[in-house]
Amino acid sequence: MSIVNKFKQSLSARIVTYVLTLCVLLFVLSLSGFYFFSKHRIEEMTYRNAEILTENTVMQTEAILAPIMKIADNYKWMITRMINHPDTFMDLTRQIVAQNPEIIGSAIAFTPNYFKEKGLYFSPYSYRDGDSIRSIQLGNENYEYFVMDWYQIPMSIQQPYWSEPYYDEGGGNALMTTYSVPVYLDSNGKEIIVAILTMDLPLDRFTEMVSSLKILETGYASVLSRNGTFVTHPNKELIMNQTIFSYAKEKNNPELREIGRDMQRNKSGFVSSTLDGIERVMYYAPLPSSNWTLAVLFPKSEMYLPLRSISIILLIVIIIGLGLLTVIIARIITRQLSPLHHFATSARDVAKGNFNIILPDIHTQDEMRELHDAFEYMQHNLVHYIQTLKDTTSAKEKIESELRIAREIQMGMIPKTFPPFPSRKEIEQFAVLIPAKEVGGDLYDYFIHEEKLYFIIGDVSGKGIPASLLMAVTRSLFRTVSLHYNTAAEIMAGLNRSLSENNESNMFVTLFLGLLDLRTGMLEYCNAGHNPPLLIEKTSSYFSVIPNLPLGLYEDFEFKQQSYQLNAGSTLFLYTDGITEAENGEQVLYGEERLLAFLSEKEFATPQLLIEGVLEDVTHHVAHAPQSDDMTMLAITFVGGQEKYEKSITLINEIQQIPVLYEFIEGVGHDLGLEDALVLKLNLALEEAVSNVILYAYPKEPGKKIVVSVSLKGSDLIFTVTDSGIPFDPTLSENPNLELSAEERPIGGLGIYLIKQIMNEVTYSRIHDINIFTMKKKI
Amino acid sequence: MEVKIEIIEGCTLVKIAGRLDTATAGEFEKAIAPILEGTMQHVILDCADFTYISSSGLRLFLVLQKSALAKGGKLSIRDMSAEIKSIFDMTGFSSLFTFEQSNV
Repeated sequence: MSIVNKFKQSLSARIVTYVLTLCVLLFVLSLSGFYFFSKHRIEEMTYRNAEILTENTVMQTEAILAPIMKIADNYKWMITRMINHPDTFMDLTRQIVAQNPEIIGSAIAFTPNYFKEKGLYFSPYSYRDGDSIRSIQLGNENYEYFVMDWYQIPMSIQQPYWSEPYYDEGGGNALMTTYSVPVYLDSNGKEIIVAILTMDLPLDRFTEMVSSLKILETGYASVLSRNGTFVTHPNKELIMNQTIFSYAKEKNNPELREIGRDMQRNKSGFVSSTLDGIERVMYYAPLPSSNWTLAVLFPKSEMYLPLRSISIILLIVIIIGLGLLTVIIARIITRQLSPLHHFATSARDVAKGNFNIILPDIHTQDEMRELHDAFEYMQHNLVHYIQTLKDTTSAKEKIESELRIAREIQMGMIPKTFPPFPSRKEIEQFAVLIPAKEVGGDLYDYFIHEEKLYFIIGDVSGKGIPASLLMAVTRSLFRTVSLHYNTAAEIMAGLNRSLSENNESNMFVTLFLGLLDLRTGMLEYCNAGHNPPLLIEKTSSYFSVIPNLPLGLYEDFEFKQQSYQLNAGSTLFLYTDGITEAENGEQVLYGEERLLAFLSEKEFATPQLLIEGVLEDVTHHVAHAPQSDDMTMLAITFVGGQEKYEKSITLINEIQQIPVLYEFIEGVGHDLGLEDALVLKLNLALEEAVSNVILYAYPKEPGKKIVVSVSLKGSDLIFTVTDSGIPFDPTLSENPNLELSAEERPIGGLGIYLIKQIMNEVTYSRIHDINIFTMKKKI
Repeated sequence: MEVKIEIIEGCTLVKIAGRLDTATAGEFEKAIAPILEGTMQHVILDCADFTYISSSGLRLFLVLQKSALAKGGKLSIRDMSAEIKSIFDMTGFSSLFTFEQSNV
């Protein structure tokens, strides 16, 4: 649950992150594009607006100043017409003031001594005083108008001239300017200036208009006179008190000074400069009639205020939009992926073996549908496969159990009771078949018929059921076919014919067949491609055999048989290749040489000990490597055909029984025609063995039995002393030190030493609380 | 088994006949007790009719020998058959005793 959720959440989170990142990127790009484009446009527009505003204002101010110039031109003409009537000029000035409400004063200042009768100064001047108009003569000793700017400058430049603004003294601190026009008169064909006509113009309308100009939030307009004096400015203190140059100096702003210069050159244009710590944009343009300059200033930042607010609004909208987008996308994705969780749960259920889980409903036709279909397909197939697997497994189990039964049946065919023929003292034999994991094809078998031991050892080619079947067939054939023929070769040929018939699977059997005459030890044998057996007499050697061919290959093959006279005590050791080809971890085979060497070195008392010895050596060789093939061994010792001799006596644990034992041994010596000296020694050994039992096996328990038996096997006379007393292994006792002098020799401890000296072999074993002490003497 | 003890020429002559085995060893031990307790130094064991000895017998022979040696005498075994001698050989007892043949 949690894992699926995490996966889902992380997947949706990833998708949301990707989408959002892309959106943010797009928004940032378009927003910055918009911002910069807009900024540019706003700049352009603002500049354009400032320019237009300035131009308009220039035009409007011109509209105030230009009529004055026209009026002046008109009166200039009238003055020339009235030049011979000096006294009318006063009236004329009155008329000018009276007829032109925008003019508050006008003077006609003649050149010095122009009218002789009027003296040095003649300058009628009328001005508005409230509602009335007053007229005075301007010039006198105290007011030498010839030196005044309004007179002198137009005179010298011979051009009309707008004076620098000034405060009217007496005129109530109104800001004024005076327009001065030279009046020309033709004198002897030469135009000369006779007077300067002035018109005083209050600048209140003008400044009002300029001051009312408002650009953006804190932008303003300012008019500077020709000298750069501030004529209008929001900061009243600057007006008439400072010029742009003094201001530039005060603010230590050389840039501003340069601008002032440009203004004086009647230039126009945009500049941006930092004023009072704020970056400001300025547009300035000349007022053509007066050579004054109109400048419009506004802080650059204000230009972008609208853009900034729009951008902020946009940003907020985008952020809200992105937030909504996130929520919606997350919802959509979670909804779309929600079946995945169900699928995961389903998959886990399927893994638990619950194939009948209900898959989530998918109504769309998308990848989820595909996943659903795939799941459904998997679910369906799994059910099918599991069923098939169950069937197969149970079938396999059945086969395996049948195989096991087959193995048991097969192993049941192999004789496993030892000794197989307890009444037959002529032979001793032992065999083992150690099966590999699989059902194999090794076999051995034997039976006695008419004083002959028929025996086989064989190996069926291949493994598994076919091999085991053929093995069973071979074994059965051996039992039946053998009785119908007289010789080993005939029997082998008979087996071969039966096995070759209908042998479509081309399987074959290697087999060694022997017929041992129990009376004479004559061995008649025939080999069908099997490993040659080993003959163990005084020395060990591989038996000389004609290999012939394995059974089942050629129906009409003529088998050749051989014969060998076994001496009493000889042992025939037969085996399958499971022994010689037993591999160790390094793939080294046990090998025929090692087998021969092992059997040559060691001597074994019985076939069982022999087989166990070989098996131990093979096991030692193989170590931990797995057994790959059946291992089968059969050992047969021909004890001999002489008459059997067996005798036994039961004694009780009393010393008085010793003479009874003596008589028994004497009897055995007589029976077997043994020499007196040997009988004496046998007697001695037996007495020592029995007296040991009498004296020590049953402490203070009279009347216990001691069984002494003797048997002759080949040339071995075997004595066995058995008792049920306390466990005692005489073979473990130490030999006495024979080097000691009579004084040093301990009394006793000689009995067992004597037995060992007299007998060829002594063994002790304790089986089921019975001490068995066996002594063997070769005779 | 039969034991006859005679004193001849300052020697103890022990004539032993028959079998000296585990069953008869006790009887022989009783018989030789006086010799062991006596002061006679030299002991002659006449084994002409001695037919069998087992380790119990060998043990008593050794006891006699030790007793004789302790008294400064010696033990001689006279006319012992080769068969019994071979038993002495087997046990290394041959070197502990003196064997002699009577002239008769």
